[in-house]
Amino acid sequence: MEPLKILIIDDEAPARDILSHYLKNEEGFTLAGECSDGFAGLKAIREIKPDILLLDIQMPRLTGFEMLEVMDENPVIIFTTAYDQYALKAFELNAADYLLKPFTAERLSAALQKARLKCEAGRQDGGTPSAVIEKRPAGAPSLTRVVVRKGTAINIIPVDEIRYIEAQDDYVMVYYRGGKALKQQRMKFYEESLPDGKFARIHRSHIVSIGEIARLEPYGKENYVAVLKGGERLPVSRAGYRYLREELSF
Amino acid sequence: MAWWLVWLLLGAGQSLLFYYGFDRNPALSITDGMVSMVLFSALALAAWFPLKFLNRNDTRFPLLIINLLAISAVVLLVWMGLVYLILSGIFPDTGNYGAFWRGTISLRLGTGVLLSILVFLTYYLIISYKNLSDRRLGESKLENILRETELKMLRTQINPHFLFNSLNSVSALTITDPDKAREMVIKLSEFMRYALARKDEQPVTLRQELENMKLYIDIEKTRFGERLITNETLSRECLELKIPNLLLQPLYENAIKYGVHESTGTVEIATTVYCDSQSVEITISNNFDHDAVMPSGTGTGLSNVRRRLDLVYGREASMITRKEKGRFTITMRLPVNTLQ
Repeated sequence: MEPLKILIIDDEAPARDILSHYLKNEEGFTLAGECSDGFAGLKAIREIKPDILLLDIQMPRLTGFEMLEVMDENPVIIFTTAYDQYALKAFELNAADYLLKPFTAERLSAALQKARLKCEAGRQDGGTPSAVIEKRPAGAPSLTRVVVRKGTAINIIPVDEIRYIEAQDDYVMVYYRGGKALKQQRMKFYEESLPDGKFARIHRSHIVSIGEIARLEPYGKENYVAVLKGGERLPVSRAGYRYLREELSF
Repeated sequence: MAWWLVWLLLGAGQSLLFYYGFDRNPALSITDGMVSMVLFSALALAAWFPLKFLNRNDTRFPLLIINLLAISAVVLLVWMGLVYLILSGIFPDTGNYGAFWRGTISLRLGTGVLLSILVFLTYYLIISYKNLSDRRLGESKLENILRETELKMLRTQINPHFLFNSLNSVSALTITDPDKAREMVIKLSEFMRYALARKDEQPVTLRQELENMKLYIDIEKTRFGERLITNETLSRECLELKIPNLLLQPLYENAIKYGVHESTGTVEIATTVYCDSQSVEITISNNFDHDAVMPSGTGTGLSNVRRRLDLVYGREASMITRKEKGRFTITMRLPVNTLQ
């Protein structure tokens, strides 16, 4: 059987060193590459197509979690981090294992065996669905940025630049200054995770940045539409209207 | 002393009243007056204790009045009874003391009631003053405890991730560079000793603080290698000034978190220290990745430092943060003399 290809993504050189050292003694795996940040990681994943990722979470520019959100490929993930508070999120993302630094060679070995089983299962059923976190972890800070992909480019959008978000079946379309992008995510997630007071869910299908609303116009009987500064007209539900009234106190 | 003098004067007054108002018998008047007042004084002193006891808990007003009336009644009854017994004991032969007594009874009662009111009012004044000062004392004690507790809480908690990431680096270095691993363990130990050992709010010299911050940064340098460089401009004469320990740690942690952790390029952390006769100015700055959209922090690090400055120095210290041209700068100004 062909050895499984492993890619290490970690911004600290010593952390990469210890992983590559441990991997020397592992049979059936081969170290295919090392990257020191998320962007380089995404590029390497596209080129190398690794079977297993050894992925740090806290990294410059793009966190490990954000990488998963914009990744097409579907390698088996083993998180390696010093932070224990992300474990729940990691397993929601269907990670094979979650290694808390520092860890022993045996611990890594056990994680790799789990990853191997997952790889074999994955080959049969055609892979697991990509990373969607439906629920925001309780007490998590609100989002400050959203990572989207346009073609092969990865864009990091500060939440201040988001104009509105539109529901599209299992996806959402994020409209921001300078473009729009599709993301595999639920409306509920954004409703809960965007900073309070800056965004309003005005309708089942729309979350809008309150600062983008130019005016509200009556529409038919007892209905309203929100006219945005860009000219778009979005429907407002009754609950949405009530919420806006409260938020803007008119 | 003053207490007895007052009663002596009152006794003299009472004697004069008896003498001029009723019986022109000086011996009887003076003895009666003095005995009455000495007795009343003793009873009033005795009444202090039940009164103080009753007043211990904030009794409701109607109950208080009833208590007062009861105590006054008892005092008056006992007082008048004792006076009668003693006086008729001293002047058994005058036989007509009974008549004198009956004649002066309304005066005695009047004086007694008046004096009771005066005495109780005085007592209440004393008690409420004492309560007030007790409460003030308690409040200032409480305030001190609160302040100390808050200072303890604000004192930097070393981020556990720093520790675990460093230990992970050590674990790697044991293989790639054992000498460096040993060096790092020693630095980590020294830094942790500094951070953990000082349980109470002990001022340290700026030199000690900066040396320990250097340990902290050296450890981070091992993790991030070439990506972290430092630069120091320190005026020698400032280094013996005292500052609260670990005051600067959150500032460096902040620089590393938003500089090094969020950048793929090189980050320089610059420290400058200047002082004059009144104040010392500590500036810590770092460049950061312009394009990076920062993850949200909890924002507690710097605001804790601010609060700590408030508690230690009051309004005499200041901390200003500035973000311009890709550089984040924190300037802290502390008064020189407070912590010597």
